[in-house]
Amino acid sequence: MISVMVVDDHPMWRDGVARDLTERGFEVRATAPDGEAAVRIARAVQPEVVLMDLNLGATSGVDATRAITGELPATKVLVLSASGEHEDVLEAVKAGASGYLLKSASADELVDAVQRTANGQAVFTPGLAGLVLGEYRRIAAAPEAGTPQLTERETEVLRLVAKGMTARQIADRLVLSHRTVENHVQSTLRKLQLHNRVELARYAIEHGLDGEE
Amino acid sequence: MTPPAPTAKPRPGREADHSTTPLWRAAVLLRVLTLVFAAAVVFAYRHEYARPALAWAVLGAMTAWTVVIALCYLPEHRRWLWFTVLDLVVCCGFMASSRLVLTHDQLTVTGVPLVPTVWVTGVVAVGAVRGGLLAGAGFGIVLGLVNFAVRGYVDTDLSRDMVLLTGVGFVLGMAATSARVSAQRLALALRAEAATAERERLARSIHDSVLQVLARVRKRGMEVGGEAAELARLAGEQEIALRALVSTAPGETSSDGTADLVPRLIVLTTERVQVSAPSTPVLLPDAVGREVVAVVSEALTNVAKHAGPDAKAWVLLEDLPDEVVVSVRDDGLGMAPARLDDAAAEGRMGVAKSIRGRIGELGGTATVTTAPGAGTEWEFHLPKGRTR
Repeated sequence: MISVMVVDDHPMWRDGVARDLTERGFEVRATAPDGEAAVRIARAVQPEVVLMDLNLGATSGVDATRAITGELPATKVLVLSASGEHEDVLEAVKAGASGYLLKSASADELVDAVQRTANGQAVFTPGLAGLVLGEYRRIAAAPEAGTPQLTERETEVLRLVAKGMTARQIADRLVLSHRTVENHVQSTLRKLQLHNRVELARYAIEHGLDGEE
Repeated sequence: MTPPAPTAKPRPGREADHSTTPLWRAAVLLRVLTLVFAAAVVFAYRHEYARPALAWAVLGAMTAWTVVIALCYLPEHRRWLWFTVLDLVVCCGFMASSRLVLTHDQLTVTGVPLVPTVWVTGVVAVGAVRGGLLAGAGFGIVLGLVNFAVRGYVDTDLSRDMVLLTGVGFVLGMAATSARVSAQRLALALRAEAATAERERLARSIHDSVLQVLARVRKRGMEVGGEAAELARLAGEQEIALRALVSTAPGETSSDGTADLVPRLIVLTTERVQVSAPSTPVLLPDAVGREVVAVVSEALTNVAKHAGPDAKAWVLLEDLPDEVVVSVRDDGLGMAPARLDDAAAEGRMGVAKSIRGRIGELGGTATVTTAPGAGTEWEFHLPKGRTR
C-alpha cells in the first residue's frame, strides 16, 4: 500500500483528495495545511509520496518541496496545483519535485500519477514539458561549465510531451520502447535538479552560507 | 478695448495644469526681473525722454500689472484664457505708449529701447506655456509687429527682435507641451501599475477560494455522474476560463515596441486547449505577436470545427536563439493527402492557405503534418532577425 501525505491550505480540497485516495486503496498517513507543518510531519511519518499544493498562503510549497526531498531521499513530491503560476511550478520541479499535475485532473489521472511517482517515474503535463524545455534553453543562452544540456533525443521527446502526446504515442512515433521514453523524460528532470543543487551550493559557498563562517 | 468673452473652460486637464506650474512660475519671475531692467532703462533716459513724467507713469503701471499677473498666474485656478489674451493686449499698449514718451529721434534710433524693453518677452512665455508652440510663436509675432508699428519702420535689428520673440515662444511652447504630455504619460503609467497590482490581488484571492471550489465541484460531479456530471462540466469550463484569466498579466507592450507572447497565448486555454510556454517572456514586436496569436486562434477554430467533437488541442511556444516556434497540434480526425481536394471543397484548405499566407507575411514559415486518425499538427517558425 502506497503511503501518501496531502499538503493543501484549503480544507475542502485537502479532505476531498485524502478521501479519494483512501477509497482507491492508498494509505493517507497525514495531511498538512502549510509548508512548515508539511516538513515537520513528513519527517515524522515518512510518506512515499507527498501531494504538494504550491499556494500555501504565507509559506511556500517550493521551499517545503526542497526541504522534504533534501532530507528524505525516499520520499517523492508530486506537485498538485490549480495554478497556472508557471514560475512556481518550474521552481518546485527544480527544487526536487518529481512531477506536476493540475488540480483539474480526474481521479483516475490522480491515482495513476501517484502510482507512477511512487515507482520513481516523472509525471509530466504538456505545460511542465514546455517549462522544462524553456528552462534548458534559458540556461543554454549563458552556458557555464557544468550547465546541463538536452540531448537531441531528449529535446524531441520533451517537445512531443509538450504537444500533448502520451508516452506510448511518443514511443510509437520515435520507434522507441515505452520505457526508454520514460527514461528520457526523467533524465531531463534529474539533470535540472542536479544543476539546481550545484547552483545552490555554489551560491552558499560564495556568500558564506555554508556554515563554515 | 473689450476683453474676449471669458471662455473659462480649463483646456488642459487638471494634471496637465500641475505639470506646467513650474513654467508659469518661471514666466512670472521673468516679468519681475525684466521689470527691474525696464526701470533701470527709464532711469538712464529720464532726462532725454520727450515726456519723462509719462515714462515714470508707464513704469508704475507696468509694476502694478506685474503684481496683477503674478496674482493670476501663480495660483492654478486663475489661469484664465481671457486674462492671458488681455495680458498680451496690455503689453502691446505699454509698447505703444513709447510713441508719446520717446522723442522722434529716439524712436528712429534703435539703440534706445521702448519703455517696457524686454519686459514684454514675459507675455510670450505665458502664451507659450498656456497654449503650446503655436500660441507662443503667435504671441511673439504679435509683439514683433507692434514693435514695427511703434517704431514706424522695419530694419535688421527690429527683424531680429521679431525672430527672437517668435523663437522664444516656439521653444517654450514645445517645452510646455512636452511637460504636459509627460505628465499625462506618467499618470497613465501609474494607473496601469495600480490596475496590475489590483489584478494580482484579485488573482490571489480568486485562486485561494473560487478556483479551489470549482475544481472540487467539477471533480465530485464527474464521479457522481448523471445530472451532476453536467454541472461538473459547467464548473470545469468556468474553472479553466477563470484560471487562464487570473494567471495572466495583461499583455502590455513595452517601451521598445515588443510584447510578451506568453500571456497572449496562455489566455487561449480552454477545457480542450492546453498551452505550454517557457516561464520567461518571449518577446516579439507587438504587431507580429498579435498576428501570431490571431493565426493560432484561427488554427484552433479550425480544430473545433473540423477535427471532431472530442478533439483536444495543444499549443507549444518555444524561444530558440534565432527563432520563435509555435506549434498547434490536435488529436482529431486529421486527413489524408488524397483528400486534400475534398478538404478544399469543405473550406479547410482555404484556412490552411490563409494560415500559411499570414505566417509568410511575417517572414516565417508554416508547415502542416496530417494523416487520417492522427490529427493535424502545425508548426510556425518565426525568425527573430526578420521580425525584430
